[in-house]
Formats: sequence, structure tokens, C-alpha cells
Amino acid sequence: MRVRLALAIMTGACLAPLGAGAHHSFAVYFDPSKSVTITGKVTAFRFTNPHGMIALEVSDAGGRVTEWRAETNAPVVLVRRGWTREIIKPGATITIEGWASRDGRPYIRLRRALDANGKLIGSAPFGTTDAG
Amino acid sequence: MRFAFATAALVALAAPAAAEPDLTGFWNLSFDTSEPPAEMLAELPPNTVLIRDTGVVEFPEDEYGGLALKPAALAHAQAWKPADEMTLSRVCLPPSIVYAIQGPFPFEVYQTPQLIVLRYEYFDQTRLVFMDGRGHPPADAPHSKMGHSIGHWDGDELVIDTTHLAPSTITNNGLDHSGSIHMVERYRLSPDGRRLMATQWFEDPEVLDNNGVRFIQWGKQDGRYVLPYECDPSFALEYQQAGEAGQ
Repeated sequence: MRVRLALAIMTGACLAPLGAGAHHSFAVYFDPSKSVTITGKVTAFRFTNPHGMIALEVSDAGGRVTEWRAETNAPVVLVRRGWTREIIKPGATITIEGWASRDGRPYIRLRRALDANGKLIGSAPFGTTDAG
Repeated sequence: MRFAFATAALVALAAPAAAEPDLTGFWNLSFDTSEPPAEMLAELPPNTVLIRDTGVVEFPEDEYGGLALKPAALAHAQAWKPADEMTLSRVCLPPSIVYAIQGPFPFEVYQTPQLIVLRYEYFDQTRLVFMDGRGHPPADAPHSKMGHSIGHWDGDELVIDTTHLAPSTITNNGLDHSGSIHMVERYRLSPDGRRLMATQWFEDPEVLDNNGVRFIQWGKQDGRYVLPYECDPSFALEYQQAGEAGQ
């Protein structure tokens, strides 16, 4: 499994996400100026409110595996972007771009997800123009 | 004949009076960031600050948008920790309408002359706005996350006065309102009926030294409806397990 973990600082203004689906505040939990990209093997996908959740195993360059979790918008928002309960399956390799957790835990807020062929999952990423 | 009369009476009850705007429909948050109309701001009481955390924007810790917190409220907010909310017992507690109204979730409006029903997607909440001239119940009546709402028309504006709100968050970052908060919303339609604008004003002398107001806009989307929310608290366990994985 080819795994990539990259951190990059981006300008937050154009990518600042919504609090859509938030029982908790995005701004409190995530850093809108810090982007994270991870690729790994899905171990679970929960399609429940207040947020969906993708768990995946990510290996670093030294081969150490860390289980990351990517929080999504609320499923009520996801379904309006073409997502379904079955759209991501355990065992699949996917790449997720999102915003880093402020406290450094392996936990990100999903902006977009790509399947093993690089195809966008769903109809559009989640960002500044999201609607519920 | 009697059936026809009864049917006509029901139709008359269900239809808004001709002079009143019809807010019926599915409304979704607009990301139009235009400033509120000056005349809507002019209607607000003095000592009111416009807090800009609607829809896209949410405040980080220690940011309250100009609201002046009393010392006890400030101490409570500063002691608040984000992880405190990510527990099985708290993560699916719905916020009160004071915060819930600002988010990017849609709602439906059902309107009659006597009653307006606001059905929110966020946490499956439903709100009744009594338009029949009744007042609020006694102060010691039960409080809830939707509170008790009475409404009237002020020209083309729907004015909703809400009390009896159970303590909950204002800005979702540790600032909580008390059970004494009083909220007044004023809704108006755009001339073409496709945009709904509102000011959401509130006062809470137990918590704040000034008053707050949000300006919120929604767009009408035909043929759509709110979806079930059904919050699953086990989401909090995922967050906690990620914390353990990071150690």
C-alpha cells in the first residue's frame, strides 16, 4: 500500500470550511490555515450525524502505522453532494484532504476524498460554498 | 352544502391573510455576505452589537464577536475545553435555537394566521410560533431548547418573541446563555419572495452587559425538504480514540 502523509500551510481565506454539520465548532477544533493530506486503507466508515467518520490506517515513511480519523460534514449535507452510506467501503484505499486538528491528534476535517484512481468521491468538495 | 362550507372554512384557516407575506417553503442558508439593511438595524434596541458568526463563520476559543460577558460568564467560557463536549452524554445534546439558527442547515415553514411552524433539519427540532395573540406562560413554566414563541406582523415583517429557553450555547465555544434569555427575531422577504432575511436579537442580563444580534439570510429552494437528523452519540468515541492514537 502506497501511503503518503503531507502537511502544508495554505492561505485560509479561500479554503475556510463551513461549520456545516457541526454540533461542535469547526473553528474551535480545526485550524483553517493548515491543510493535511493522507492516504491509507479504510477500516471503517460511519454515516451518522452529527458527523460522518472515516477511519483509515496511514503509514509513514518508516512504515509506522497510525490510525487516522477524518470527520465529514453531517450526512444530511453529504447526501446532497452525492454521498451514500455505501460510497466508502472498508478495505478501500483512499486519499483525504482536509484541515488539521488544533491539538495535533490524528484527526482531520474532510474537504474532499479521492478513490484509489484519483476520482473525487461525491459530486463536489466541501468548502466555502457549502449549503446544507 | 355543509361539507363545502367546512372545506372553505379550513382553506381560509390554512391560507395566510392576503396582506401578510407568505413565508411557506423550504429555506436554505444563503452565503450572500451583504450587510443588513440599515432600516433593520435601526429597529434594534441600543447597546446591541452585530455578531458576525453566521453560517460560514464560527468563533474560535476566546472570541465572542463583541458580546460583553459578565465576569462569571467569562470565567465559565475560559474554563471550557472543546474535548468536554465530545462525550457520549453531550455530543448529541441539541443546542437551543439561539445558536442553532445561525448554522447552514435548512428549515421548512408552514404558515397559517393562527400558527406558524418552523421545522428545522438541525437535530430534528420543531418550533411553534403562536400568532393568536396569547402571551408567554408564567416565568416558572418549563423551559426548552426551542423556548416559547409568540409572533405578530409588523407591516411586512414577522416579529417573533421567544422566552423560556433552556440554558445552552450562544457561540458554541463556551459562552452559554441563561434560562432568562429573551430573543426577538424580525423576518422579511425580498421583493421577489426568493430570499428571507432576519435579524436575531437577544438580551441576557444574567450573562451579558450588552445585547447581541445576528443578520441571517436564506434562499428559497422549491421541491426540497428537510432530512432526518438522528444524532448518534458514538461519534464522540471516535474523537476520543483518535486522541489515544495520537499519544
